[in-house]
Amino acid sequence: MVPLYKSSFSTDMKEKDIIFGGERTLARAIRALVADYHPPAVFVYSTCIVGVIGDDLRAVCTAAAHELKIPVIPVWSEGFRGNKNEGYKAACDALLELIGTREYIPKKRFTVCLLGEYNVAGDVWPIKSYFEEMGVEVVSSLTGDATVEEVQRAHCSQLNLVQCNGSMEFLAKRLEEKYGTPYKRVSFFGLKAMASALMTTAAFFREPSITEQAQEIIKREMSRVLPEIEWYRRHISGKKAAIYMGGAAKAVSLVNAFKELGMKVVIIGTQTGKRDDYEKIDSIVKDGTVIIDDANPLELQDLLIRQEADLLVSGVKERYLAYKLRTAFCDFNHDRTKTFEGFTGMINFARELHTSINSPVWKLPVERKHCTQFSKALANA
Amino acid sequence: MSKTYATINPCSMCMPMGTVIAFKGIENSMTLFHGSQGCSTYMRLYLAHHFREPVDIGSSALSQEGAVYGGAANLKKGLRNVIQGYTPTIVGVSTTCLAETIGEDVPRTISEFQRQEPAVRDIPIIHVSTPSYAGTHEEGYAEALKAIVKRLATKGEPQHKCNLIIGSIISPADVRYLKDMLERWPCDCIVFPDISETFDAPIVTNFPKIVDGGTPLSEIRDMANSTATITIGGGVWRADAGALLRDRFGVPHVALPLPIGIENTDYFVAAIESITERELPQRYERERGRLLDALIDAHKIVNGIKAAVYGDTELALGITKLLREIGADPSVVATGATTSTFAQRVRALSPSATVLYSADFTRVHKEITKNKVQLMIGPSTGRQISLKESIPLVRVGLPISDRFGAARQMIMGYEGMTWMVDALANALLDAS
Repeated sequence: MVPLYKSSFSTDMKEKDIIFGGERTLARAIRALVADYHPPAVFVYSTCIVGVIGDDLRAVCTAAAHELKIPVIPVWSEGFRGNKNEGYKAACDALLELIGTREYIPKKRFTVCLLGEYNVAGDVWPIKSYFEEMGVEVVSSLTGDATVEEVQRAHCSQLNLVQCNGSMEFLAKRLEEKYGTPYKRVSFFGLKAMASALMTTAAFFREPSITEQAQEIIKREMSRVLPEIEWYRRHISGKKAAIYMGGAAKAVSLVNAFKELGMKVVIIGTQTGKRDDYEKIDSIVKDGTVIIDDANPLELQDLLIRQEADLLVSGVKERYLAYKLRTAFCDFNHDRTKTFEGFTGMINFARELHTSINSPVWKLPVERKHCTQFSKALANA
Repeated sequence: MSKTYATINPCSMCMPMGTVIAFKGIENSMTLFHGSQGCSTYMRLYLAHHFREPVDIGSSALSQEGAVYGGAANLKKGLRNVIQGYTPTIVGVSTTCLAETIGEDVPRTISEFQRQEPAVRDIPIIHVSTPSYAGTHEEGYAEALKAIVKRLATKGEPQHKCNLIIGSIISPADVRYLKDMLERWPCDCIVFPDISETFDAPIVTNFPKIVDGGTPLSEIRDMANSTATITIGGGVWRADAGALLRDRFGVPHVALPLPIGIENTDYFVAAIESITERELPQRYERERGRLLDALIDAHKIVNGIKAAVYGDTELALGITKLLREIGADPSVVATGATTSTFAQRVRALSPSATVLYSADFTRVHKEITKNKVQLMIGPSTGRQISLKESIPLVRVGLPISDRFGAARQMIMGYEGMTWMVDALANALLDAS
C-alpha cells in the first residue's frame, strides 16, 4: 500500500447521494477504511454539498467512534463557510476534540508544545533537536510530524510556542483558557528569529542550564552558518523582494529575513492578514513599500512591474506569473521541498534566492538582436 | 467491479477543470466558477503545476449567505470583475457542486446581468453545468464544447474550410503538430479548441492579461458553414459538438479516435485526404516511414512487455492501441470516468486486458501487482505505485506535476508515436 499520508480518501458522492443523502455511504466508508488501514483516528471533512444537503455528519461520526472505538471527528470545512481563516478555525475545533483525551507524564521537567508548525520540508526536525539539546521536551508539535497520541497529550506542556498565529492562535487561546498554559508567539524562520525563539523559551523557564545551552546552541550554529550565508548575502544584497503569502506570520518573518540578507522589500501582501497584522507589517517596512491585501493576479502583476521587483516569494500559483515577468522566484508555500526554518534553513533560503536571482536566464535578450556579424563574409557568396 | 465505499486516490479530476481547458482554447476568453472560492484556487493550482503557466480563473466566491439566499448577486459581481479586469470577448461560467445543489438559475442570472449592463451585451457568456458529482474533467470538457458550439455556430455563407474538433484534452504541442500538418497539406481548417498558445505562452516583453492565441470567435461561428467536421477523440463522449453541427447545419461529421498510433493516425490522414482531395504531403510519409523504422529498432525491448495504462479515456484507448501495434501487452487499462463504453473499446483492442473504470489507484495498484506489470503509462498521479513497486512510469496525459515539459509532450501523429516508442524503450532500459 501507498503511504497513508500520501493518500486521499473520499466518499466520491454522486447524484444519487446528493438526492438521497450520503450518510450511509459515509458510515460504510469509514468502517471499510478503518478495517483496511487501522488508523488511530479518523477526520471527516465536509464539502459544500454535504453542508447544503444537510447530512448529519456529527451523528455518523459519533456512531462510528462508538462502534470502532477510535476517535472519529467531523471537520466543518464546507467551502462556502469562508476563506482559509474559517478553515483554520474548523481544524482547531477538530483538534480540540482530541487534545486532553490522553494523560501523559513528560519525560523531562521542562516542556513545550509547538503550535502552527507544519514540518514543511522537514522544518521541525532540527527545531526539535535544539529543544532537546536545551533540555526541553517538545510534548507535541501541532501538527507537523505529529501522531494522534501527541495531539491527545498536547495539553501537557508548560508553555506553548505559536509560530503560525493565523492558523493556531485561536487554539493557543483555548488551551490557555482551559488548561492555563501560557503561549508566546515566535518564529523559527530567520537567524535572529530562531535565536530569539530559543532565548524566549529559556527566559520563560528561568533555568540557568537551559539558558546556557540555548546560548551555546546559538553561538555554535551562528558561527557554523554565517560564513556561507555571508557569501550569498554579498551576491544578493541590494536586490528588491516582493512578498505575497497566505498568512501574515511568515510575511513578517520574511521581512526580517530579507533585512538579514541585505535585500529591500518593495511589496508585501497576504491573503488572510487581519488589521493588526497589517499594523505590524507597516511598522517594520520602509517607506515606499507597497502593502497589499488579498490581491488578484492582475494587481500583483501590475505592482511587480511598477516596483521593479527582482524576486517574488510566494506559492505555485504566483510562480509562473513571476517567471512570465522575468522575475526570480522563491517558493515559500506548504508544498516547498527545501527546509528553510532553523539555522541551516537560512543557508538553504539564501542559496535559493541566489540561485534564482543570479541565474543568467533573466539576462538573455527577449527581443532577438539584429546581427550583422556575418554579412560581410557572406556578401559575395 | 467490486463495490467499494470509498474512493482512495481517484484516477480523475473535477468537472469544471475540463471546462476551463475548453474555454482556454478560445481567443480572448475567461472562465468563472460559480461556487466557493476554493474550487477556482485548486483548479488554478493543478493547471499551473501541469502547464507551468499562470492560470487565472474567476470565482463568484459564494458564501454562507449565498448558499442560503441564492448566489445571483455574487455571480453578477464576479462577472463584472472578470469583464472589467480582463476585457475578454467571451466568458465561460462553470457551475460547481454548490451552485448546482442549491439550484442556481444561472442562465437567468446571466441574461439579467446582460440586460442590466449594456456594455456587456455583446459578450457571449456561456453557462456549462459542471457539478463534480456528475462527471470528471473529461465530461466537463465535452459539455463545454457542446455548449460553446451550440451557442456560437451561426448560419452564414458557405465556405471551403473544414472543422477539426479536438474532442478530448490533448497537449498544446500536439495541437501545434496537428495545425502544422493541416497547414502544410494544405488544408484550411478551423481547429477548435486551440490551446496551442494559450497554455504554452512564450516569454515576451509585455505579458498580456489574457495570453494570445485560441480559436477566434468568428471562426467558431463560421463552423456552421464548413464543408465537414472531424472530431478526434470523439468516441467515448459522443462527440456532441460535431453532431450538433451536422444536425442543425448539415455539416457532415465523422468521429475518430485520437490520432495515437499508426492506424489511428492513418484514419485521420484518410479523413483529411477525403476532405481536401490532396494526398498526405511527402514529409509526413517519410515521418511515417521513420516511425516504422523506430518501431522495428525497438521491437525486441518492448515485445511482450506487460504494461498498465491509466488516465483519460481517449488517451488510454489510443495508448492501448499503440502498445498493441508495437507488440507490448496492455494488461491493465484504467480510467476514473464512469463509462462502460470504455471497457468495450479496450476489450476490442486487447481482449485479455483487465479494464477498470470509475477506478481509483488502490484498485489500479492491486491489478498492477496481480498482473506483474513491468511498465506504467499515465500521468503523475500513478507515481506512488511506480515508486512502491519499482515499475518505470512514462508520464503522459494530465496532470503531470513532477516533471518538466507537460505542455510539450507529443504523442499524436507519426512523430508523436516515434517519441513515445523511444520513451517506452528507454524507460525499460533505465529500469533494467
